[in-house]
Amino acid sequence: MTLLRRLPAYIAIWAWVAFTVAAILWVVMSAFKSKREVLRSGLKPPAELRWENFETAWNVGRLGEFFSNSVVIVCLSVFLILLVSTPAAYVLSRAKFRGREALTNLFVIGMGIPIPMLFIPIFGILAWLRLSDSLTGLTIVFVAISIPFTVYLLTGFFASLPSELEAASLLDGCSDFQTFRYVMLPMAMPGVATAAILNFIWLWNEYQLSLVILNSPENRTLPLGLYSLQNAMQYTSDWPGLFAGVTIVIIPTILVYAILSEKMIAGMTMGAVK
Amino acid sequence: MIGKRLIGLFVAPAMIVYLCFFLIPTGFTFYSSLFEWSGFGSEAKFIGLGNYRRLWNDPTFWLSFRNTLALLFVGGFFVFFLAFLYTILINSGIWGKKLFRLVFFLPNVVSVVALSAMWAYIYNPRYGLLNTSLKSLGFEGAGKTLWTSPDNIFWAMLAALVWVFTGFFLILLLAGVDKIPADMYEAADLEGANLWHKFWYITVPMIWDVMTISFVIWIINAVKMFEFPFAFGFLQVPQQLYTLGIYLYIMGFGQRDPIYQLGYATAIGVVMLVLAFSLIVLVRRLMRRDQLEF
Repeated sequence: MTLLRRLPAYIAIWAWVAFTVAAILWVVMSAFKSKREVLRSGLKPPAELRWENFETAWNVGRLGEFFSNSVVIVCLSVFLILLVSTPAAYVLSRAKFRGREALTNLFVIGMGIPIPMLFIPIFGILAWLRLSDSLTGLTIVFVAISIPFTVYLLTGFFASLPSELEAASLLDGCSDFQTFRYVMLPMAMPGVATAAILNFIWLWNEYQLSLVILNSPENRTLPLGLYSLQNAMQYTSDWPGLFAGVTIVIIPTILVYAILSEKMIAGMTMGAVK
Repeated sequence: MIGKRLIGLFVAPAMIVYLCFFLIPTGFTFYSSLFEWSGFGSEAKFIGLGNYRRLWNDPTFWLSFRNTLALLFVGGFFVFFLAFLYTILINSGIWGKKLFRLVFFLPNVVSVVALSAMWAYIYNPRYGLLNTSLKSLGFEGAGKTLWTSPDNIFWAMLAALVWVFTGFFLILLLAGVDKIPADMYEAADLEGANLWHKFWYITVPMIWDVMTISFVIWIINAVKMFEFPFAFGFLQVPQQLYTLGIYLYIMGFGQRDPIYQLGYATAIGVVMLVLAFSLIVLVRRLMRRDQLEF
């Protein structure tokens, strides 16, 4: 009886889930098909696995180069983001000083600023610093735009930690830096890890500022490389090659998500749900 | 106690990067919107509110503005309608809640460019998943629709966008619902409340704050929308897909040929910021209520 009453709910949910899974699976499957097969075989699995599509995307589409660009720039950015944001968040949530709330708000307000507003001034500043069209310039910008959310997330995390240990370590004669380094930071590691995962996924997929800042083909990140592959596709109609590219781009984030989704979702919702 | 030196030392690096590469550039946008400035090397000429007057008379600007509002309100309606609907369904005591949550959120971890390539193929008139499915179900006429024709492309893009964002807000709403004490629903069940009663009299009031934050996040995302419609438009984004963000980009950098109307483009940026902040203030005011104790 209850199963029958819940049937509509199951159908509605499964319809959505089936569509999402089928759409993504179908892209991955199409990456292994031949050009003709992609157009005719619909949802059928590939007749044989054509790995050469991946070779084309990786070498001719140059996604191999862009992949290493993305890995370097995203990992470096995430490291730097955490390096500057964690101490700031610690102080903003645990220290007592005048203007603390105003300073926190100043950090958080960045989350409301529409990123396209930055296109022109950022381009101008990087040109002035002679960092336009460089991965260094993009890294700095990635760090800057990720600070508001990361500080917000970590401030909430530090605030939720118990204060007894902090007090005890100070009584034991630890300096304030030692207390942070050896007592509070280890306790905050789960939060820092969550921030790292979220920033990794966002920056891996970041595309608008990369589009504005990067110009020369050898500097492209993966989303940009995929975008140019997609545009070239209009002339070559090499759908399997494009889908191989799509697969290369989405595999890392989907893997991270599959392994760490619980942590990610907990982090995403922590700020919104108190 | 955390000493003054440590406070300064810990906040300064983040603040310096954030100021130099985020806040000051944002502020600079206001300033440069008052200039006629065509190219990074060239001299800017002060023209007061001239750029804003020009925006007022620019039909392409109004088209972008209208598209942004359509995205915000029509898209927002469907996103939240579906997010609420699926929150109720997933929370109605069915098996597999965690798995469903995982799949609904999945599009949000995938690159926007990858998603747009996927949707371009779903919408492909001859070979696409949509039309071939329609045909195989017997809808010959509907199976011939050109989903990406100028008339349809905006709505086709919006449908794909709704699919992405529903999962995002579903996660937030579900997390809010999880915090509601179960005995409230049990008590309601004893009173004979149906699903709708429970939703309207328990769930909505209890997740009010999560709803407010969700609306604010949606406003921010909708006003700044750039990546998805831009990638969806392929080589040359058709005007039907212009949002404020895309028009800003085109005015600043052009698509195939550079345009470099930098002052004008930054004026569009100011409009975006003002739009986002006034809508956020409005929503917060409309959603304000006394703190609920339980």
